[in-house]
Amino acid sequence: MKANKIPIGPFHPLLEEAEYFELTVEGETVVDIDMEIGWMHRGHEYISEMKTFTQSIYLVERICGICSTSHPLACVHAVEDIDNIEIPLRARYIRTLVGELERIHSHLLWVGLAGHFIGYDTLWMWAWKYREPVLEMFEIISGNRNHYGMMRVGGVARDVDSAKIVELYKHLDMIEKKMVMVAKVVRDDPVVKSRLKGVGVLTHEAAVAYCATGPTSRASGVPWDVRRDEPTDAYDLVDFEVIVLPNGDVYDKAVVRVLEVIESVKIIRQCLDKLKVVQGPILNNVKDISPGEGIGRYEAPRGEVFHYIRSDGTNRPIRHKVRAPSYVNIPTFTASCKGIPIADVLITLASVDPCYCCTERSLKVIDSSCESRQIDLLKSSREKTERIRREIHGN
Amino acid sequence: MAEIEQFLKDMGGKVTSIIEKKKRLYFNVTNDDLQDIADYLFNKMGCRLSTATAMEMYHGIEILYHFSLDKTGQYFCPRVIIKDKKNPKVNSITSIIEGAIWIEREIFDLWGVEFIGHPRMEELLTINHPGTLKQPLRFREGA
Repeated sequence: MKANKIPIGPFHPLLEEAEYFELTVEGETVVDIDMEIGWMHRGHEYISEMKTFTQSIYLVERICGICSTSHPLACVHAVEDIDNIEIPLRARYIRTLVGELERIHSHLLWVGLAGHFIGYDTLWMWAWKYREPVLEMFEIISGNRNHYGMMRVGGVARDVDSAKIVELYKHLDMIEKKMVMVAKVVRDDPVVKSRLKGVGVLTHEAAVAYCATGPTSRASGVPWDVRRDEPTDAYDLVDFEVIVLPNGDVYDKAVVRVLEVIESVKIIRQCLDKLKVVQGPILNNVKDISPGEGIGRYEAPRGEVFHYIRSDGTNRPIRHKVRAPSYVNIPTFTASCKGIPIADVLITLASVDPCYCCTERSLKVIDSSCESRQIDLLKSSREKTERIRREIHGN
Repeated sequence: MAEIEQFLKDMGGKVTSIIEKKKRLYFNVTNDDLQDIADYLFNKMGCRLSTATAMEMYHGIEILYHFSLDKTGQYFCPRVIIKDKKNPKVNSITSIIEGAIWIEREIFDLWGVEFIGHPRMEELLTINHPGTLKQPLRFREGA
């Protein structure tokens, strides 16, 4: 059968971010995929070498709008690793609280987009509706709905006002109820299950070979989670479960995320309980960083964020390496996209939660005779769900 | 820690300049021994390659690999120093770890280090740059 190349991206009026994929298809089946990155390269590592350690925290906060706590946390962990800097107990709980709120809002964003991609718009609207109170909690804590500016080497920049903890509990109670409902929808709805089960499978072996992280690898039975494996902040002081599922398909990736949201709610509740009783400073005064090197990491919603910092004893890093989780998760498409139908490509690409996929929809097929036809990935994905719905519900 | 002791027992003859910190082990290896070390860490110990960091120093270009032993939270960081700055080359570990393909391409792109045996040694980040970027993170005269 004749193979066609399908370019997806890199730029589209609706794209939040640019990325380029080239699918090779035979009929409706994907037989190969190639990827090009670099369209969003902004030189953060180089810029960081010209900033002080404190300025670098603000710089890396702007690498990603969703992970705007994960990068600063990994950055301060790396600096603290150079000198084994201790942080106050209250600051540890505040860091954990903010980090877990970020996980909830990121996962809810993904669940909503996934619902939209497969034509389950009710799930999309619910998920985004209940993401809103999470952003309100951020506003109560930091004054901002995004880019919170909370992290400092040696602690946190702002305390959580005890008078507002009651308000945070109210939001959390509501979020918990609704998250149980969303998790039930994702786990038990027959259409969602039929649409996502067995789609875009990333095997355990492939996840290990590509060094994948986060929900992408945990849904393939790879049980690693930085929060448990190298606990920093208050993660060794709170109870939570690492969610691991065996099948590696999009369904398991979705279930891992919704169950992680419920675990995050548990962690946040424990942090709030402790913040009512644990008082004291929130920031240790760190004046100098010694010459040396440090590794910092944090379990971001998408997986391990890794920062490496080398210091020569001045007030700025001489090398600051950043590795975000999508960097190791995107290459897994080579394993998960081969052999799947075009209608499943969109949700498979989205299943590792890269930021760009939400709007990479329209594409053009060009065959060897230069004839072209338009295919709408989103439409084809939603049509497949509709077919499954009719088979199940009969109309 | 048992894993470090076992690693040094098995591979101690191939590592030098060891720096041990809490949950971190940095050490130097030669280019010839790099693949053996990567194979031991990845396949025998079950480490995951987080990433690799390249740095240009006065004594050469350093490639520092970050292997995470997730079950204990321990990092093993082998460091290869390439003294020939004009024509830097190092053995690729992509035949052992597929996850190193992009990591090595990025270092080739930004520092000009050629990884011998890499299946696709071409730029990763600057491949579509409209300008003439060439190894943008290397030291430059007057920079």
